[in-house]
Amino acid sequence: MSDDKIFDVQNVSLRFGGVVSLNDVSLFQDRGEILAVIGPNGAGKTSLFNSLTGVYQPQEGSINFLGRDGKSVSLIGKKPHRVSALGVARTFQASRMFSALTTFENVKIGAESHKGFGAVGAMVKGPRTRRDEKESDAQTVTLLDFVGLRQKANTLSASLSYGDRRRLEIARGLATKPQVLLLDEPAAGTNPSEKLGLANLIRKVRDEMGVSILLIEHDMKLVMSLAERLYVLNFGSVIAEGTPEQIRANPAVIEAYLGSSAEEMNGSA
Amino acid sequence: MKKLWRGPAARRLFISLSVMAVLEVMTGPPGSTATPLAGIDGSFAEKASFFGLFAGQRWLLFLSFALVVFGIWSFWLSMGTEMAAAVSPARQLITVATRRKPVRWSFMLVLLAVAIILPIVETDPYWQSVMVEEIAVYVLLALGLNVVVGFAGLLDLGFVAFYAIGAYTTAWVTGALPTPALFGLHLNPFFAIPVAIFLVMLAGVLLGTPTLRLRGDYLAIVTLGFGEIITIFANNLYGITGGSYGSGGPTGKAHIPHFFIDIGPIKYHWTLAPVPYYYLTLVFVILFIVIFSLLEHSRVGRSWTAIREDEVAAESVGINPLKYKVMAFAIGAASAGFAGVITAAQSTFIFPQTFTLQLSINILVLVIFGGMGSIAGVVVGAIVIQTISMYLLHSPPSGFQSSDLYIYIGALLVVMMIFRPAGLLPSRRRRREIGMSEAGEGHMDEVLTGDTP
Repeated sequence: MSDDKIFDVQNVSLRFGGVVSLNDVSLFQDRGEILAVIGPNGAGKTSLFNSLTGVYQPQEGSINFLGRDGKSVSLIGKKPHRVSALGVARTFQASRMFSALTTFENVKIGAESHKGFGAVGAMVKGPRTRRDEKESDAQTVTLLDFVGLRQKANTLSASLSYGDRRRLEIARGLATKPQVLLLDEPAAGTNPSEKLGLANLIRKVRDEMGVSILLIEHDMKLVMSLAERLYVLNFGSVIAEGTPEQIRANPAVIEAYLGSSAEEMNGSA
Repeated sequence: MKKLWRGPAARRLFISLSVMAVLEVMTGPPGSTATPLAGIDGSFAEKASFFGLFAGQRWLLFLSFALVVFGIWSFWLSMGTEMAAAVSPARQLITVATRRKPVRWSFMLVLLAVAIILPIVETDPYWQSVMVEEIAVYVLLALGLNVVVGFAGLLDLGFVAFYAIGAYTTAWVTGALPTPALFGLHLNPFFAIPVAIFLVMLAGVLLGTPTLRLRGDYLAIVTLGFGEIITIFANNLYGITGGSYGSGGPTGKAHIPHFFIDIGPIKYHWTLAPVPYYYLTLVFVILFIVIFSLLEHSRVGRSWTAIREDEVAAESVGINPLKYKVMAFAIGAASAGFAGVITAAQSTFIFPQTFTLQLSINILVLVIFGGMGSIAGVVVGAIVIQTISMYLLHSPPSGFQSSDLYIYIGALLVVMMIFRPAGLLPSRRRRREIGMSEAGEGHMDEVLTGDTP
């Protein structure tokens, strides 16, 4: 069991000056699991993501990640691009695409970012470069099919709808061939039918590609239907952990976090 | 009616008219303190020739030129949509990332043909030497800076440093500096090309590695300092560079020799005559254009765009921003280094006074004017601005002083920024970016967002 933890986070603390963003957070994720982190605004969910992906460097604690070769590596002190190379992909809360590029180009950047050096290859256009290009193109087309954006391959990413932007970000993340995909509020700003589509897509990513999913989401209906296990963060600390049923019944969660939205949560069961 | 007036065609006509009006004023007679507006009157009324081509009332010329420009422009645009429509939709899906504008390529070919026959048509020695020293060399410099500023989005105000390093390396390799030459040999400047390119790329890496962690304004200041440092080194390292006397100063040994080929039956010596240098430079300009445009449409170019657009997102998909920024610095420096070799060999002397901050800024103006990130744009931008400047300096209208030049160039730039903020021939990607930032889309160097409500 312990050998199969894709993420093993121990006692991580992250501070910005006097502000404690993460306080002694410990959590783990099994390989192939859909895990959700919930909590009110400012609870430190995105800080946790940024710590996992190397954007922030926590002052204390350890973060271990199960790499492709089955060996555990520490992510502490690794730059974001190194973390990405190890197999961690992510999407952003406010979707961050390369907005002047087309959908196709956005995904292709993900597909080719971990291939060789490139500059010399690009200048001489050798057979290897051409093969790499072909591979990336093929992979990109496959992924666009997978997320259902093939029709919009030539669309500028800035002109996509919110739901399509989320799909694009997921495709771009998947193009880096990750072990785990971190989704930061994928349903934010999407309409109910897009939400349903996203939930199906997320499940499909796990089931068909075998990519573990770590999810931050405010939409309780989505979280409860999707996640197999949840952590609840509040003021930078983990206050509860368990299956959706356990969380829903946990008085500490209802009291500390859910408050007025407790009915909403129970209602969506 | 109102619609027609506000439509794109009217806008194009208006732009053509205003650009030509500025050109008229620039080339017309000046005013004086007593009658400051006389210059404007005279510019449009005076009987004068324009580039020695036509003679007549100037306002007539102005109008006809503007209409010709408008006509070419409109034709070009309509041709562009037609040719784009000719590409089948199925092909578009797969090749979208590498799709090129056929119009732009045919345009470049026409430009190339003009470039080849130009020295045969234009026999004025002044213009022949301008074509090498002031246009071809500046095209090279603009192409290089375009990689840094246009592709990677890094503001470099000390680009002249690489030009200087290229020039001084040539002097060193050919044994013209007071300091002993490389391997003690006085080599043909051809050997200086690889050495100079290697050294400028090395300088780019050495400057880039520590400083490219900085963003925006900070980077601009550091590069500005670097440019100054190199000039001051050239000026003050008397025993090595010849100081302010330049290469071949009192302690220097020789002129920088011209290029020559001496391989078996092929013998050719370049001399002070500009035309052979022109063709030599042209070959390298084409080479750099091909290399840079291959780069732009490759993985590297896409990574540069990604970093420029959103560095955080680029990192999250595994792009190492530092690596690609240093790469942009080094690759951009290469063409500046080569421009240095040409300048040094052609003029046979080099002086530190040549490599000023002013020159760095001038190169940046060419890039901004032509269209950041667009290879065709910066080439045309460099040709247009340099031709106008050299025309004004060569046959100044009465009362024109050389220091007035920048007033006119500045005015031209302002007109450009109003009507074509992305440059003369903007790159597709840049145009979208500017359009989107005006519409409030995209993340312009925004700090990483945390938890937002």
